[in-house]
Amino acid sequence: MRYEFRWGMLLEQPYFTWIVDAIATTLHLALLSWILALAIGIAVGVMRNTPSRALRFAGALYVEIFRNVPLLLQLFLWLYVFPELLPKHWQLYWNRLDDAPYWTAVIGLSLFTAARIAEQIRSAILAIPPGQFKAALSTGLTPFQMYRYVIVPYAVRIIIPAITSEFLTIFKNTALALTIGVAEISSVARKIEAWSFKGIEAYTVASATYVCTTIAVIVLMGWVEKRAYIPGLIKREKSDA
Amino acid sequence: MTQPIVAIRNVCLDYGGFRALDGVSLDVNVGSRIVICGPSGSGKSTLLRCVNGLEPFQSGEVFVDGVGVRTCKDLPKLRLGVGMVFQHFELYPHLSVLDNVTLAPMKAKGLSRREAEEKARHYLDRVGILDQADKFPARLSGGQQQRAAIARALTLEPKVMMFDEPTSALDPEMIGEVLKVMRDLARDGMTMLVVTHEMGFAREVADEIVFMDKGRIVEHSGVSAFFAAPKTARAREFLDRILLKI
Repeated sequence: MRYEFRWGMLLEQPYFTWIVDAIATTLHLALLSWILALAIGIAVGVMRNTPSRALRFAGALYVEIFRNVPLLLQLFLWLYVFPELLPKHWQLYWNRLDDAPYWTAVIGLSLFTAARIAEQIRSAILAIPPGQFKAALSTGLTPFQMYRYVIVPYAVRIIIPAITSEFLTIFKNTALALTIGVAEISSVARKIEAWSFKGIEAYTVASATYVCTTIAVIVLMGWVEKRAYIPGLIKREKSDA
Repeated sequence: MTQPIVAIRNVCLDYGGFRALDGVSLDVNVGSRIVICGPSGSGKSTLLRCVNGLEPFQSGEVFVDGVGVRTCKDLPKLRLGVGMVFQHFELYPHLSVLDNVTLAPMKAKGLSRREAEEKARHYLDRVGILDQADKFPARLSGGQQQRAAIARALTLEPKVMMFDEPTSALDPEMIGEVLKVMRDLARDGMTMLVVTHEMGFAREVADEIVFMDKGRIVEHSGVSAFFAAPKTARAREFLDRILLKI
C-alpha cells in the first residue's frame, strides 16, 4: 500500500476554513490564557512572600492544588464538575453558553499556568536583595506601591527566560483543549484526518502551526528581554562596562 | 525648648531571644548631627531602622515629629519625613537614576512628573551627578551610586536624614566624594543621624557622638569630650582599635 500525498486538499473547502479558524482559536486561546496566567501568577507569587500568614497560606494552597493535578484532569473538572457547583441560575447561563468549552479551556489553562508562574515570581522575589524592600519603604511608598513599581518589575526581569518557556508551554498545552471540544488546531487536524484520511497533511499543518507560533514567541521574547535588560544584572557584561 | 524631631524612648528589640536593642533612649534635636558608632552587632543599624518603622520593636516608642512609630497608622507618610541612605545604596537597578529619584515624589507625595523631575535635577545637581541622570545605576561608580541614593532621599525634603554606614561599601577614593556631600548637607543645617566608622568625619561634622555596645547606648557625649577622653573603657578600647588599627 502506498500513501498518496495530496497537499493541495488543505486549500480546499471545507478544510481551509477549518484550518484558518482553528489556528485563530489556538492563538487567542493561548494569548488570553497567557495574559490571565501572568496576572494571577504575579499576584499569587507576591502573596507567597508577604508578611501576612493568611495570604501566604492562600498562595501556597493555590499553587499546590493547581500544579499537582494534571492539566487534562483539571480541564475535565472545570467542564463537568465546576458548573455543578454554581448557583442554579448561573448554571443555566453557563450551560446555554455556546462556547462554554472555550471558556473552560481559558480558565483551566490560565489557572494551571498561573501556579507555575507564581513559583517563578516567588523565587525571583526571594533573589531580590532585602535592602530593595527597605529602600522602597523608606521613601514613603506603600507596600502595594513597592511591589507595583520596584519589586515586581525587578522580579519579572529576572525571570524573563523562564517566563518564555511558560509562554511556549501554554501554546502547546492548548492542544489538550481538544478533549473538551474546543476546535483548536489539533482537534481540527484530527477531524480532517477522519473526513479525508489525509492524516499526514493534517498533522503536518498542526505541527507547523505550533512550531511557527513558538518561534515567533521566542523572537518576541528575545526582543522583550533585550529591552527589559537591566544593565549590570543577569547577563554577563561585555567589556564595555 | 523645642521638641526633638526624633525622640527615642526606651526601645527594646528582641530577635527570638537575642536582645538587639536594650532600652535605648536618644533625642535628636532639629539641626543636630549625631554620629552613632560602635562594634558590629551593637544595634546601630537596627536603631536607625526602628526610627522609620522598618523594624518592629517590642517595647518603648520612637516619636518622629511627635508621631509615635509603633502606634502610627500611616507609616508611609511618617517615612516621607525621614530620609534614609543605605550601606549598599539600594538604587532600583531597572530604573534610570532620574527615575530612581522621581519615583517616590510622584507616587508617595503625589507630585506631577514635571515637578518631580525639576526637584530631582536640583538635588542630583547638588550631589554633583546631574550629568548621570539618564544612566542606569550599574553604569555608575560606587561613589556616584551612593550620591544618587542621597539625592533620592533628599528629593523628598525630609526633616531628618539617616545614614547607615554610607561609606562602608566604597573604595577609599570614593569615600571622600560621599563624605563631601554629607559635609555640605551638615553645613546647610540638615538634621543628621549617621552610623559610621569614619571617625575623621565624626570629629569634623558631628556635634554629638553616641557609642553603642550590645544593644545599649554606653556613652553619649559631645565630640571633643568623646575623642579627648572617652568615659567608658569599652569606648576607649574601640577608639584605640579604630584609630590606631591595632
